[in-house]
Amino acid sequence: MSGRGGLAHRLYQGEAGLNIIGRRKVWFTVAAVGILIAILSMGIRQFSLGIEFSGGNSFQVPASVGTLQQTEDEVANALGKLGPTEHVVSTQRIGGTSTVYEVRTTDLSPEQATQVQNDLATHFKIPAEQISANRVSAAWGGQVTERAILSLVIFIVLVAIYLILRFEWRMAVGAVSSLFLNLILTAGIYSLVGFEVTPSTVIGFLTILGFALYDVVVVFDKVQENTRSITASSTQTYAEAANLAINQTLMRSINTGLVALLPVGGLLFIGAGLLGAGTLKDLGLVLFVGMAIAVYSSIFFATPVLVTLKDYEPRIQAHTRRVLGRRSAVARGEVTPKGARAPRPAEEAEVDPEAAALAGAAPKVGARPTGKRPTGARGGRPGGGNRSGGGAKRR
Amino acid sequence: MHPGRQLAVLGFIFVVLYLLVFFAGASGGWQERLHPKLGLDLIGGTRVTLKASTLNGQPPTSQNLEEARRIIEDRVNARGVSEAEVVTEGNQNIVVSVPGQNRNLDDIGNAAELRFRKVLKVTDGSGAAAAPAPSASASGSPAPSGSAVPSGSPAPGGAAVSSSPNAGGQGGGAPAPSTSASAGAPSPNGSPAPSASASPAPSGSPAPATDLTLEQQRAAVQQKVGAAAWQAASALQAPADFSQDPTLADKLKPFGELSGREVWALTPEMQFNVPTITCKQLDSRPPASIRDEKQKVVSCESGVQKEFLDVAKVLGTDVKDASGVLEQQTSQWVVSLEFTGSGQEKWTNLTREAFNNDGQACDQTALGDQGKCRVAVVLDNKVISSPEIQGVLTGNSQISGSFDSKSANELAGQLRFGALPVTFEPQEQQTVSATLGSAYLKAGLLAAGIGMLLVAIYAFFYYRLLGTVIFLSLVLSGVLVFGALVLLGRQIDFTLTLAGIAGFIVSLGVAADSFVIYFERLKDEIREGRSPRSAVPRAWARARRTIISANAISLMAAVVLYIVSVGTVKGFAFALGLATVLDLVVVFLFRHPIMTMFANTRAFLSPRVSGLGRVLDRAEPDSAKPGNPRVKEA
Repeated sequence: MSGRGGLAHRLYQGEAGLNIIGRRKVWFTVAAVGILIAILSMGIRQFSLGIEFSGGNSFQVPASVGTLQQTEDEVANALGKLGPTEHVVSTQRIGGTSTVYEVRTTDLSPEQATQVQNDLATHFKIPAEQISANRVSAAWGGQVTERAILSLVIFIVLVAIYLILRFEWRMAVGAVSSLFLNLILTAGIYSLVGFEVTPSTVIGFLTILGFALYDVVVVFDKVQENTRSITASSTQTYAEAANLAINQTLMRSINTGLVALLPVGGLLFIGAGLLGAGTLKDLGLVLFVGMAIAVYSSIFFATPVLVTLKDYEPRIQAHTRRVLGRRSAVARGEVTPKGARAPRPAEEAEVDPEAAALAGAAPKVGARPTGKRPTGARGGRPGGGNRSGGGAKRR
Repeated sequence: MHPGRQLAVLGFIFVVLYLLVFFAGASGGWQERLHPKLGLDLIGGTRVTLKASTLNGQPPTSQNLEEARRIIEDRVNARGVSEAEVVTEGNQNIVVSVPGQNRNLDDIGNAAELRFRKVLKVTDGSGAAAAPAPSASASGSPAPSGSAVPSGSPAPGGAAVSSSPNAGGQGGGAPAPSTSASAGAPSPNGSPAPSASASPAPSGSPAPATDLTLEQQRAAVQQKVGAAAWQAASALQAPADFSQDPTLADKLKPFGELSGREVWALTPEMQFNVPTITCKQLDSRPPASIRDEKQKVVSCESGVQKEFLDVAKVLGTDVKDASGVLEQQTSQWVVSLEFTGSGQEKWTNLTREAFNNDGQACDQTALGDQGKCRVAVVLDNKVISSPEIQGVLTGNSQISGSFDSKSANELAGQLRFGALPVTFEPQEQQTVSATLGSAYLKAGLLAAGIGMLLVAIYAFFYYRLLGTVIFLSLVLSGVLVFGALVLLGRQIDFTLTLAGIAGFIVSLGVAADSFVIYFERLKDEIREGRSPRSAVPRAWARARRTIISANAISLMAAVVLYIVSVGTVKGFAFALGLATVLDLVVVFLFRHPIMTMFANTRAFLSPRVSGLGRVLDRAEPDSAKPGNPRVKEA
């Protein structure tokens, strides 16, 4: 076995034995620092809102002046004189009885708009009256935002109820708090990078919302399975069982993360790298950051929160004491482990109770899905005699 | 279920979907039938500019304009999930852009003021100068249902059929503050005063005009038609009958030359009594010219029937909800109305009044076949229908007319979202080019291609042969999503923007996750010592639970967002829901049966091929050794 003990291999086997729950103070600190930075960034740098939210200006130039591209360049030129933040947002050709080019820009003051209008008139050598300059309102009205937030609140309430029914309230708290962590951190990073907030950004946000919860549910599902009848035996504490669940789903989390992030990475690469601006870049960034954090927080935040809450439950507290007490008794040799474990008393005794408690390591008996059956649990082991038939078939 | 059967179901879904794609409402060549609807950013669309027209020529307040923008946005969005753009431009324009060429945007800026008015008198308005033809051309078949039963059930109420397809909008507007109006509401037997409880629209929009300007305009018209004509017209007590008095025809001739705005300046009596004023002129009166609910007005039905209408006793603001429904018995599209509490009361009173013909208010010419009054459903300047009231109606009501599903739903949408506080005149309809264009579409697709390639490479690396299952299911998801997009684009105007494409790329990646969950379970089971054949169903049973719980969350998000949100977010919610449902379809009907079939093959058992290799590999020496090496690793 030792030859294959590399981390990758152990990950693959779900036996990485990483002690995540034990170090939960570290993760909480990391989260707190992240939130602090995010909030500071949002407060200081704020978000630069796109024309869809803040409104902007539009200039209509008769198509007789040249090509669409020339018009766009010239408007960009005129804007460049005004300041570094003003830029062209979109360019469209509008056909009707007379064709015009419409260039939309970021929000300008009336004087600035007049200046651009005059610049264009001079450059194209047409009277300024032929260029119409207007303010355009936000297309994404306040109502859209209001309704989106309202539906977000309703959704979170519903999800919480669902999680309480399907799991328990502590898991609901863990999942929802990790969702908030996710959203805050993503928003913080977005504001740090300083991309413009467009409707695509908002859509990206909503996408990671679903993804983050989905991810947490997968991990919690395993935790629940591992701890279903944990108080019935005294081999494992809740924290150990939860840690084991994380280790067992770790490979899945990594796989999911990779499989989901690869296409998004492609999006971000193409969007930012080749096109330089626009929808793909905004969306790619939000999704990439959001999904990465979602995978991280389902492991390093949601489950630690859950275990911390669980530790306050009297039933679990009593159970943890019993497990630890029994373990130290075994270590001292006062109690013999139950008969069912007879083949391995020595190994069991080898384990230092402290280390075991911290490491939550041994993906031991009760942890297996089959662990529900206290005696059958051993049957689940590869070495279990009752499975040898299966082994034989494998040829 | 047998794996074969599940695959058969999938095949069936697939065939049905693509049959629908190619044959349901499709036209053109094979390639054309395979085009999903693309958004404004990718292929451009149609744009119409609505210019606010107020009777006094002043631009509307910015609050009113913004409210109008919001209502128009609601209306556009109610037409489908189409990602339209509605912005205000300057201080009096609203610019509506929708994806796709040659879209009909004519009615989008209708004020949609709805009024229910009793029909008092009817005359011919076709300009044929004929004698009034009492209800000869009037009104159609009565309502089929038992609506004649007084205080009947809330079954679709008695508004019966008439004609005229004018889809317009709804009512509920600002009552003009001018109380000078001629006819006071003659509400007999103490029914509530017409608009006692009608709450005025929040807008406080300007009255069509003040008395002063109306007087001035009237004076101008008087001059135009000449004193003789004016006197003759004022003297009329009933629609002039040219067969009785041929000279009158000549005298009144100048009225036939008046513009819509000039006709509007005349008194309602004059508009009605002068036969040379045709429905064409009446229909071209400025918007909102008969909005005042305290005025008796003249309006036209079907462009031929001139009707003299009572004050409006039920308004658009009394309507709580409206929807287009297919009437089962007549298989005609109608707009079903649900009234508010006070609106319901007003409606009941109005129908009672009409049913009893209190005070003989309705002229003989205006009665329906059963001798009861008719109530006109007036939308903006036109009468949509004027059913005969066959009972006192206490339930919901419906508007019938020659609607199809589209126009019925459009009208319902306009009624639902309320009347515009400002009236607009649509300008020329234009085409707009894409804001982003094909370069971005290509880049998006390229990104999708690269992403999928990376996922496929990773899947083959990690899962070996089972990678083909992922790969195939990605392809399958892609094909199903594409089919659904094409179909939904045609059926409900589902429009694909660049953000939407990105969303679907992501959803394909996420969909691959359900396989990851399944596979990791399988590994667990095999590590526990199960044979692959028995591990597959067990792993499936557990993975299924996880997959369903996790997808339930996504679906919940989609449903809540779809119901509550508006605009772009609604479109996103739809896409999310679609992707999730398709994911479940692929998992249940493809991956699971394929895995079951795989489990029975020799290749699956070979460590090198199946990606379960190391687990299988390792289970081997394990079973040979009695000891438990695992503890050491810990």
